[in-house]
Amino acid sequence: MESPATQNVLIVGVGGQGVLLASDILGTVCLGRGYQVKKSEVHGMAKRGGVVYSHVRYGTQVLSPTIEPGTSDVLLAFEPAEALRWSKYVKPTGTVIVNTQKRIPPAACQDRRPDALTRYPRGIEQALRSQIEDVRRFDAETLAFELGDLRMCNTVLLGALSRVCEFSAEEWLAAIEKSVKPRTAELNRRAFLAGRSVEFPCAEEPQAEELVFEKREAARDEAPFIEIRQNWCKGCEICVRVCPQNCLVMNGSKLAEVAKAETCIRCMLCEWLCPDLAVSVH
Amino acid sequence: MLDIQKYLRLEMFPHMLCPGCGHGIVLGALLRAIHSLKLSQDEVVVVSGIGCSSRLSGYVDFDTLHTTHGRPLAFATGIKMARPELTVIVITGDGDGLSIGGNHLIHAARRNVGLTCLLLNNEIYGMTGGQAAPTTPLGKISTTGPTGPFETPFDSCRLVEAAGASFVARGITYEPATLEKLIVAAIQNPGFSFLEIISDCPEFFGRFNRMGNPADQILAQKQNVVDAKTAATLPPERLKGKMLTGILHHEPRPEYAASYQESIAQMGAQAR
Ligand code: SF4
Ligand code: SF4
Ligand code: SF4
Repeated sequence: MESPATQNVLIVGVGGQGVLLASDILGTVCLGRGYQVKKSEVHGMAKRGGVVYSHVRYGTQVLSPTIEPGTSDVLLAFEPAEALRWSKYVKPTGTVIVNTQKRIPPAACQDRRPDALTRYPRGIEQALRSQIEDVRRFDAETLAFELGDLRMCNTVLLGALSRVCEFSAEEWLAAIEKSVKPRTAELNRRAFLAGRSVEFPCAEEPQAEELVFEKREAARDEAPFIEIRQNWCKGCEICVRVCPQNCLVMNGSKLAEVAKAETCIRCMLCEWLCPDLAVSVH
Repeated sequence: MLDIQKYLRLEMFPHMLCPGCGHGIVLGALLRAIHSLKLSQDEVVVVSGIGCSSRLSGYVDFDTLHTTHGRPLAFATGIKMARPELTVIVITGDGDGLSIGGNHLIHAARRNVGLTCLLLNNEIYGMTGGQAAPTTPLGKISTTGPTGPFETPFDSCRLVEAAGASFVARGITYEPATLEKLIVAAIQNPGFSFLEIISDCPEFFGRFNRMGNPADQILAQKQNVVDAKTAATLPPERLKGKMLTGILHHEPRPEYAASYQESIAQMGAQAR
């Protein structure tokens, strides 16, 4: 039987942030206590900023390596949107620790206009707070940068994690020293202590950003407009075939027609490749 | 956003080109290039010869000249000599520019006359019904070559470079943004700029050679070309049967009309 006191920690982020090293360090800390530890992780998506996660479970006896939704005690998120993505894994009484620096994925930047809005999720903080009691947001990346190396971000986050786990600072530091290269050991130590000394809630980020989002969102709603001059169109089908978003279709009279302008990313291909100059994307 | 309609003779639209004809795409790219160079409509002259591509001059609201078969470069040279300050753009086709007009082409290149020559190559004679052109690739069907020609086609870029043009480039209609940039670079070069544009003729070339509908045909273009910069890094066997695109040659040298003005000034000074 699995011990009822088994702890679940879910560590998530995007490729290159050091999620896996952080979970290894947590594992080493647990082993030092004589606990059983099981880990299950996905990597490989790492190169292009893909999703990386690591389930860590520890206790006197651990059977399954994966955390079930709604049962994680702690979610350590290296990235806000990832925190949102994985939030349903956390118990309502659990803790979420979030690095507030965003990594906006390419898929959210498809709109080509100069002032375009990204499709990065908004209202993450409210969403997290409505689901989970203890939400701890702070800018771990800037803290790491100020310490002298952005790459220390994962150790800073471990410092924050150490405040909600049962292990002492010494146990953590010993595990960190074992896991990192000797020449970065001192820096990692300072990064850990910096993260550990952050008090929550820390000073809130300005809300201005959300306001700008709202304003631009409004502008976007009125904007997408693809005009097809049907009396110029000769039905060659080029625009329909080149549109990467399938916004256009051929209608019953074999002329091009707009099917869904809302997904248009303004790549301009339809306008530029229409041989009859029949398309304008405004 | 740019509305290119202001450069069009709207009463002439829709234009007479067949559905899916690549020449219309070149027209759009040319207008966007002129717009980005901030040239006024009175500073630009568009000259063309005879053929489907040469019809384009009729649709644009600049000063335009639709001339005789194969002779647009001769007319354009005259314009440049008389009004060197104008931007003179020649639109010609592979039939117009390389067969009947081939001689004018090599001499305009040799003299380095300050013209921008866009040669729209659809590899066939479109307007007269699909006869083989000097650019029809070996084995491609036309009305005068029902089993495909056995003549080697011209590589017009190499021809014109050898004849002395100071700017030589090749683009394809499937890459309209690159095409626009190439046209801008061609116009900015003060001497003779030659830009071959691979364009589609779905009506004849595509139909005879079973290339599917116009969309199939334009989507297939990429298979036949390699960017010149990429090509430099590839082994020769990967380049077999491929055309190079991008700027192929750029070596500025004295422009003809300017040299002519200089020589007149010199002679005047000597006479005094
Ligand atoms: S600009 Fe045109 S081709 Fe591009 S996504 Fe919009 S409708 Fe499609
Ligand atoms: S590319 Fe132009 S002519 Fe062809 S179907 Fe689309 S709108 Fe019509
Ligand atoms: S015949 Fe060919 S080149 Fe001429 S307009 Fe038709 S498609 Fe274009």
